Amino acid sequence: MIRYIFMRVLTMIPTLVLISILVFLIIELPPGDFFESHIAELQALGEDADLAEIEMLRERYGFDQPQVIRYLNWAGGMLTGDFGYSFEYRLPVNEVVGDRLWLTIVLSVLTILFTWALAFPIGIYSATHQYSWGDYGLTFLGLIGIAVPNFMLALVMMYFANTWFGISIGNLMDRQYLNEPLSWEKVQSILSHIWIPVVIIGMAGTAGMVRRLRANLLDELDKQYVVTAKAKGLHPKKVLRKYPLRMALNFFVSDIGSILPAMISGAEVTAIVLSLETTGPMLIRALQSQDMYLAGSFLMFLAFLTVIGVLISDIALAFLDPRIRLGAGSSK
Amino acid sequence: MITPRITRRTTLGLLASTLLAGRAFADAPLFEADLAAGTLPPMADRIPLNPRVINLPGMGRETGVHGGTVRMLIGGQRDVRLIPMNGYSRLMGYDADRNLQPDILAACDVVENRIYTLHLREGHRWSDGSPFTADDFAYCWTDVLNNPDLYRSGPPVELTSDGVVATFEVLDPLTVRYTFATPSPDFLPKIAAPLPLVLFMPGAYLRQFHAKHQTEEKLAEFIETYSVDDWQGLHQKMSRSNRPENPDLPTLEAWRPRTAPPSEQFIFERNPYFHRVDQAGNQLPYLDRIVLDVASSEIISAKTATGESDLQTTGVDFPDYTLLKQAEKIHPLKVSLWRRTQGSSVALLPNLNCSDPVWRKLFQDVRMRRAMSVAINRAELNKVIYFGLARESADTVLPESPLFKPEYATAWAQYDPDLANALLDEIGLTERGGGNIRLLPDGRKAGIVVESSGESTLETDVLELIRDHMRDVGIAIYTRVSQRDVFRSRALGGEVQMSVWTGLDNGVPSAEMSPEHLAPTMPDHLQWPVWGAWYASGKTEGDAPDMPEVLELVTLLDAWRQSTSTAERALIWDKMLSLRADQVFTIGTINGALQPIVRSARLRNIPDEALFGFIPTSYLGAYLPDTFFYEKA
Amino acid sequence: MSNTQNALPEPGAPMGHFVSDLPFDPNEGEAQNSAQARFAQASQRQLMWWQFRKHKVAYWCGVFLFLMYATVFISEFLAPYHQDTRNSDVIYSPPQPVHLFHEGAFIGPFVYGRDQTLDMETLRRVYTDDLTDVQPLRFFCQGDSYDFWGVIPGNFHLMCPAKGGEAFLLGTDRLGRDVLSRTIYGARISLTIGILGVTLSFVLGIVIGGLAGYHGGWFDAVTQRVIEVLQSIPSIPLWMALAAIIPVTWSPILVYIGITVILGMLDWTGLARAVRSKLLSLREEDYVLAARLMGAKSGRIIGRHMVPGFMSHLIATATLTIPAMILGETALSFLGIGLRAPISSWGILLTEARSVNIIALYPWLLFPVVPVILVILAFNFLGDGLRDAADPYK
Repeated sequence: MIRYIFMRVLTMIPTLVLISILVFLIIELPPGDFFESHIAELQALGEDADLAEIEMLRERYGFDQPQVIRYLNWAGGMLTGDFGYSFEYRLPVNEVVGDRLWLTIVLSVLTILFTWALAFPIGIYSATHQYSWGDYGLTFLGLIGIAVPNFMLALVMMYFANTWFGISIGNLMDRQYLNEPLSWEKVQSILSHIWIPVVIIGMAGTAGMVRRLRANLLDELDKQYVVTAKAKGLHPKKVLRKYPLRMALNFFVSDIGSILPAMISGAEVTAIVLSLETTGPMLIRALQSQDMYLAGSFLMFLAFLTVIGVLISDIALAFLDPRIRLGAGSSK
Repeated sequence: MITPRITRRTTLGLLASTLLAGRAFADAPLFEADLAAGTLPPMADRIPLNPRVINLPGMGRETGVHGGTVRMLIGGQRDVRLIPMNGYSRLMGYDADRNLQPDILAACDVVENRIYTLHLREGHRWSDGSPFTADDFAYCWTDVLNNPDLYRSGPPVELTSDGVVATFEVLDPLTVRYTFATPSPDFLPKIAAPLPLVLFMPGAYLRQFHAKHQTEEKLAEFIETYSVDDWQGLHQKMSRSNRPENPDLPTLEAWRPRTAPPSEQFIFERNPYFHRVDQAGNQLPYLDRIVLDVASSEIISAKTATGESDLQTTGVDFPDYTLLKQAEKIHPLKVSLWRRTQGSSVALLPNLNCSDPVWRKLFQDVRMRRAMSVAINRAELNKVIYFGLARESADTVLPESPLFKPEYATAWAQYDPDLANALLDEIGLTERGGGNIRLLPDGRKAGIVVESSGESTLETDVLELIRDHMRDVGIAIYTRVSQRDVFRSRALGGEVQMSVWTGLDNGVPSAEMSPEHLAPTMPDHLQWPVWGAWYASGKTEGDAPDMPEVLELVTLLDAWRQSTSTAERALIWDKMLSLRADQVFTIGTINGALQPIVRSARLRNIPDEALFGFIPTSYLGAYLPDTFFYEKA
Repeated sequence: MSNTQNALPEPGAPMGHFVSDLPFDPNEGEAQNSAQARFAQASQRQLMWWQFRKHKVAYWCGVFLFLMYATVFISEFLAPYHQDTRNSDVIYSPPQPVHLFHEGAFIGPFVYGRDQTLDMETLRRVYTDDLTDVQPLRFFCQGDSYDFWGVIPGNFHLMCPAKGGEAFLLGTDRLGRDVLSRTIYGARISLTIGILGVTLSFVLGIVIGGLAGYHGGWFDAVTQRVIEVLQSIPSIPLWMALAAIIPVTWSPILVYIGITVILGMLDWTGLARAVRSKLLSLREEDYVLAARLMGAKSGRIIGRHMVPGFMSHLIATATLTIPAMILGETALSFLGIGLRAPISSWGILLTEARSVNIIALYPWLLFPVVPVILVILAFNFLGDGLRDAADPYK
C-alpha cells in the first residue's frame, strides 16, 4: 500500500513538469505579448499609453531574454512560492487571486455536492427501470444541462431570475456585502445568488455522471452474484443496496478526477456571463491579454489541483478496491 | 494673460459678506463629526483664500445640497482611472464650451506661447491637509522628471521643444515658470488633457519613497511591504495619480480613493480640501461618495437597466437604448443621448504604406480613395445602425467645433456609385473578372482585406454593409479579424491593406488644440504607420513621406508647433482640414453618433444634451461632476 | 445399443461395437422454425441492428440525425433566403406566423405583409401585420440566387416568399437577415465540425491507445503521463492558445479546418484510455497468441483482430463526444476565438444573440439554440442505443 502511494507520488512529478512546460507554451504561443496588447488596448480607448512605464516593465521582467531562461525563472519562482507579477493589475499574483479563490472553492464544492445529490437517485432509478418512461424522462432532463450551451443558459436564467424573483443580475452577492466580513445577511445574499451558477454547471456534470453510473450499475446487476442473491430470496432493494451500490460508490470516488477539470472549465464561461467573483473570468482575461504570470501561475495551480485530486481519488480507490492495490501489471 | 472669471477680490468680498451676514459656510454634513471632534479644521481654513467659484445659475444650473452616494459600474479594476478623468481637477481645464479655464491655478501668464508663468492659489492644500506650493512642482521637476533613474530617456517630450528641454524656475512659493526655447503652444492643452502631463506631486508624502531622501533600509522595508522590485517601482506605484489606487496618496481631485486593490468595489470619498466652491459658498463637491462596482462588461448594460447604477456612461451603447428607455418606467432612471465627439465612428483607413506595390500605388492615388468614399451609402449606414439620428459625414471635425466648415463634411461623402465607377475606370481598372469584380493591372482580383480588432459589433455591421456597396462598384472586401496586439506590428510591417478604426480622436477641436492627429505622428496611425514612426523617432529613422500632400501636413503641423498667435493656428488648422477633406486620407462614414447617458432620476445638474468624448471634454470632466447633486427627497 | 454381451469378452478378444449404426439425423431433436434459424445464424452486425431497433428512442434519434445531416447537402435549397441576404427595412422583425385561413376561406400557407413604424421615443422598430395584404408562400420556386456549395450558381428554393414580399418565419436580426435561413446554413458548419473532429480524435485514440495497451512498457507509461497532462489542464485555455496561433490571413475555410483539428486533437484522450484498458484485458486471449505465433505484426493484430471486437463500443463512445465538439465550437465562438463572421455557424449565431437586450426585446434570435439542443440530445440517445446494442448477446 505504502509502496503504491509512493510510486504514484513519484510519477506525479514528471507529470507536473510536463504540465508546466505545456502551460508556459500555452501562454507564449499566441503572437505578441502583454505589452503589445496593453498598448493597443489603451489606444483603442483613445488614450496614450504610459509608454515609459511599460518599457520599464518590459525590461525589468526580462522579456528580451530567450524563452528557456524565462521558463526556468518562472518555474523556479513557483517552487519558492513566488507566483510572479500581474501586469494587468500591477500587483503580485497572490494578491490578485485573493478572495476569488475561496469563492471558487465554495462554488465548486457546492456544485459537486449538487451533482452527486442529483445523479445518485437518478442513476439508480435509471438503471433499475431501464427503458421506462421514467428513465427517458430523467435522462432527458439531465441532458438539457449538457445540450444547452452554458453561456446561453446562464444568460437566460439570469434574466428570468431577475424579472421573476428580482434577484440582481450577476455576481455572487449583493454589492453592499462585498468587502464586509462574513455575516448572516452576507451568507443569505450569497446563497440567493449562487444557486444559478450551481444549477447551470451542475446540470452538465449530472447528466454525464448519471449515464456513467447507470452503465456501471447495469454491468453489475447482470453479474452472477446478484442473480444468486435474488435466487436465494433476498429482497431486490436489499440486493441493490448491499452489493452493486457499493461497487458503484467507488465509481464516485474515481470520478472526482475527471470532474474537477471539467467543472473548473465549464465554470469559466458561466462565470464570465454572470460576472461571478470567481477565478474563471480572471483567468480568461489574463489569457486574452497574455498577462503571463497571472495566467501561467494560475493555470499551473489548477492543473496541480487536478493532479492532486486524481492522486487522492486513486489512493482512495486503492483503499476501497483490493484489485487495484494488488495491481494487474501493465507491462509485458 | 488668461484670467479667471471672478477675481480674487470679488471672491474675498463674497466670503466676507457671507460671514458678515452671520452665517457660517454650509459645510458637508459628512464632516460634522470630525469638525466637532476637532480633527478637521473648519471650511474657511480648508479652502484656498481664493477658491475657484463656480457660478451655477450663470451656467444655467441649480445650486445643490451636500450628500449622497453615486454608484457606477466599471468593467475592470483599471477603470478606477475614470475618477480622475471625470473629476477633472487640472491646472487648466476645458469647460463645457471647450475653452481653457484656470482650475487649480489661480491664473496663468503666457508670453509668446513660450514662457508660462503659473500662479497657484494661496492656502491651497492637498487632501491630507499639507500645503500645495511651488515645492511640489520643484520636487516633481528635479527629483522625478529629470531623474535618469525614473525617466531614463529624459523628461517627457511635451516638456521639450525642438529637442531642447524647457527650463523651470520657482519665482515664489506660489509661482513657477516654465520657459521653452521655441514656442510650444501645446503646453496648456497637454496639462488640461484627460491623462495630463504631470507637473506636480505631493513632495511631502512622496519623499519617503525616493532614494535621494530616504534611507536604504527603510526603502528596502517598503519594497518588501508593497511587493515591488526596486525603489523606482516603489515610487512609481505610490505616486501614480492617474490610476488612484493608493489611498494614502494626497490628491487635489474632488474625491479621493479609500480602497486599495485588489477589490471588486472601490469607494471614493469627498476631499475636504477641494479648491472649488459654488457661488453660495458651499464647498464642492456636493456628492459625498462615489462607489465603483466591478462587473463583467457583458452585463453592465443589463445591470444598469435594473437600477444598479446611478450614473453610467461606459459600458452602455446605442443599441442598449431601447432596453434602458424601457427601464425608465420601472426604475428611477433617466436616459439621455449625448453626441460622441469622434471624427467618425467607423472609418476605413487604407494603408498608404502597404508593402504590396500594386495596392500601395492604388491607395496613394487620390482617385482610388475618392472612389471608395463615394461608393459608400452613408444614409443606409445611418438608418440601419443609428436610426437615422447620426450624421453622415467624411472623417472630419463636427459642426460643434469652431473650425467646422460644411464642405469638410460633404467632401466626397455623397453616395454616387456612378462617380465611383467613373473614377475607377479612369485609374485604369477597367477589366472585370468573376463576380463582376475589377481586375488589378497584374491580373489579380481587386479584393481588399480589411482588418479590424473585432471587438465591436458596430465595426462588423458597418463592414457588412460597406461590403455590398463596394461590390456594386466592382471591389471585393474581405473582413479579417486581427488580434489587437499584432495589429499594430503588422500594420507597421505593411502587411495590412486596410484597417477599420475610429476616425479623428478629437472631433471638436479649437485652434488652440494640437492638430497632431491630422498628420502622421505616431506609428499607430493605421493609414500611415511607417511615416508616423518616422516622425515619432524625431524624423531620424525610417522613411519620410513620399507623398507631397502628406509632407505638407507634416510641415503645417510643425508650423503649428512654432506658432505664436491664435489666428496663425486657426489658419493652419483650416489648411490641414481642407487638405484632408480633399485628399480623403481616411474614409469616414458616420459621426455624431449618440451615446446613452444613464443617471438616477434624482441626480441634478447633468446636461440633457452634451458632447461625449475623451478629448477634450474628458468624458464627464468638462461638465463638472462636482456640481452634480441629489435633489432633496 | 445392441447386442450387449452378458459377459465380458475374453481377454484379447475384440470389443463390441458401442456406437449405433442406425441412421442418424444431426438436426433432429429441436427443430427450429425459420425465425429462430435466422437468429442463430445471423451475423454480428445483424444482431446489433436488431438490438438497436429495440431501443425506439435511439432509433428515431438516428433517423432524425440522418435527416439533419442530409440537409447539410442541400442547405441552399432548403433555406428560403441566402444566408447573407439582408434588407435594411426589416431589421429586428419578429417571426411571421404562417396562416392557412384568411377571413374564413382556405387559401393555403401565407403570411401577412408588414408595416414598419419607428418609435422615436424608445428608438425601436415596431411592426404591425397588414391584414389586407395576403402573401401566399411559393414552393419549388425561384428565389435568391446562390452558389451551390460555393461552385454552382442556382436559385431554386424549396420555399420562397411571395414575389415582392417577405416571409421571415423566424424573424430577422440586426441587419435584416432571415434567422431561419442562417440557421439552416449554420447547420452545415456546426454539424460537420463535430463529425470531422471526432473522426480525427477517433483515429488518434485508436492508434495511440492501441499501441499503448498492446505493448505496454515505456510507451504506455509515457502515454499515460501525456493523457494525464492533457486532462489536467482546463480545456478552454488550451483551446484559446491553439486558436490564437491560427494566422489571421487564413481564409474562413482554413480556419474552420484548423478549429476542427484543434478540437479533435485535444479530445482523443478519453478514447485512448478506453481502447487501452480494453486491449489490456484482451491481450491475454488465445487468438492473439495464435496470431503472434503465426508471425503477424502488432499493427495487424491490433487492427484486424482485436479492435473489431469492440469497435461498436468505440463507435458508441465516439458518438457521445460529438456533442462535446459542437458545444466546444459554441464556447470558442463565445470567447471570440475560432470561427467568426462571415461564416455562420450555430455558435456564431448564438454569440451574436448573447446580450440581455436580445433576450428581453428580440428573443427570436435565440432560436438557433433549439437545433443545438435537439442534435445534442439525439446524439446522446443514439450513443446510448448504440452502446446497448454493441453487446448483442446480453
